[in-house]
Amino acid sequence: MGFGQFLASPEIKLKVVTYRDVFQNTAQETSRFGEEYEKSSAVIKLDPKDIAKLAIKDGDTVIVKNSSGRVVVKAMKSDYEDSHAGIAYMVNSPWSNSLVPDETGGTGVPKFKNFEVTVQGAKGGKVTGISEIF
Amino acid sequence: MSEYYVCTGCALLCDDIEVETENSKIKTVHAACRKGVARMKGCSDPLECTVDSENADIDFAIAKAAEILREAENPLIFGHGNSSSEAQKLSIGLAKKVGAYLDDTSSFCQGPVIEAILQDKLKTCTLDDIRHKADVIIFWGADPSNSHPRHLSRYSYFPRGKERQRGWEEDRTAICVDVRKSETAVICGDNRFYQIPMGGDAEFMDALLSALSSKVPKTSFGFDAKRILELANVLKKAKFGVICVGLGLIYSLEDLEPLFRLMDKLNEVSDFNLMPMVGQYNMRGFNHNLYEEAGYINRVKFNSETADAEHGPDFSVVEALRNKTVDAALVIGSDPLSSLPLSVSRYLAEIPLITIDPCRNLTSSKAKVTIPCALGGVESGGTAVRMDGVEVELKKILDTENLPDAEILRKITEAI
Repeated sequence: MGFGQFLASPEIKLKVVTYRDVFQNTAQETSRFGEEYEKSSAVIKLDPKDIAKLAIKDGDTVIVKNSSGRVVVKAMKSDYEDSHAGIAYMVNSPWSNSLVPDETGGTGVPKFKNFEVTVQGAKGGKVTGISEIF
Repeated sequence: MSEYYVCTGCALLCDDIEVETENSKIKTVHAACRKGVARMKGCSDPLECTVDSENADIDFAIAKAAEILREAENPLIFGHGNSSSEAQKLSIGLAKKVGAYLDDTSSFCQGPVIEAILQDKLKTCTLDDIRHKADVIIFWGADPSNSHPRHLSRYSYFPRGKERQRGWEEDRTAICVDVRKSETAVICGDNRFYQIPMGGDAEFMDALLSALSSKVPKTSFGFDAKRILELANVLKKAKFGVICVGLGLIYSLEDLEPLFRLMDKLNEVSDFNLMPMVGQYNMRGFNHNLYEEAGYINRVKFNSETADAEHGPDFSVVEALRNKTVDAALVIGSDPLSSLPLSVSRYLAEIPLITIDPCRNLTSSKAKVTIPCALGGVESGGTAVRMDGVEVELKKILDTENLPDAEILRKITEAI
């Protein structure tokens, strides 16, 4: 047991862009409730600088939240060459959708690809299961 | 000669699919992408016929569904992206009969672009035109390598079309405009990838418009003017250009004016078409069917006495759920609890909910009545409309005990 567990994990604000992934989409076709779907959906891709700020390792779980919702997902280092510090990527899924605000300005279209969250290390907390999202 | 089937994995509706069956199941799928193979092989979580979470026979479930819709004052009928055109037309009839809100996924997706195409405000072409003629292809806010895996190989980049015999190596230029370096951007190459900041699409379009008008292009985010001028030169020289519009672009624009301006200019200096990158296999079919019937592509509420339709954002699935203006819902061929913000879709669990789908999903897990239907293009036939507006005939491959979606809707309508 290390001293670190008594310190509050650093928290950072990020913008999230959602995207499509054919492997996750394939898992969805097979089963919304399957392990593969959770594994390929409950992920946030971060810039190495943001991973460092959070004092976490590639593959650790993080709490991602805002006023719309809160999920625990796996944080992974994105493999983009260019830095995108401050911007995180999440595959379009019930996990990302639990964080999309309901504000639409009356247009009927939520901001699926541009919303703010705060991210914090989950200190080994378990990834939110699909049946726990609701 | 082999028999070819149509894949309903996405709105490309690939019609060159061969299958091998064994014990009334699809064993092997040839030619489809991995998503298509998974779709055609069927899910591992088939939906059961239930009422109040208890197994029920189909007639009882249909009677219950009819009762819910009959008793509701403002029912919502939503989904339709994964429904046959026949089912969609019956859905429109049902909505008229019960005075329902009627909407589909285009409402928070490709709707504005499809509407503009149907109203002749945007020049478009078919996927076959792209295959045979397109020499400059722009993927704007679209990543078909993930969303439509065979788009590049069957139509837009790799094939040797009639007028593009030297294929991608010499005859085609693929360009990507996006906020991130997607897999499609990697294929286009660094010289042909234009990475813009989030929300920067409208400004980049206007800068490109300036460049096409031989003016110095300027953006507030300081995009290299030389690169925009180079891009404008490539577009000017196009013999048959196409912009494949993805959700990244649609969500970024407040309205379509910047896109109209750019398309008008491109067609002054060259020849450009627009292709909406529709996701679900028959979303465009719903838009066509409702447009023909009511003059709108989505977001309507029917008056049960006059059958007149009101239309506007207030009748969209998102606003109807957000403002809690509906008091029951029938969801067909869609999973709004997965695909809408939970802050919006949560309300569905508070009202009597009916789902019709081949598979279990988040929405069905909160439904009072669940009715399994045959999987379109595998267990039932019908028609569907491809992303380019071309109608495609779906063929049945396997027998199933589940009724086709259209048959279930017919029975519910009759029972009201």
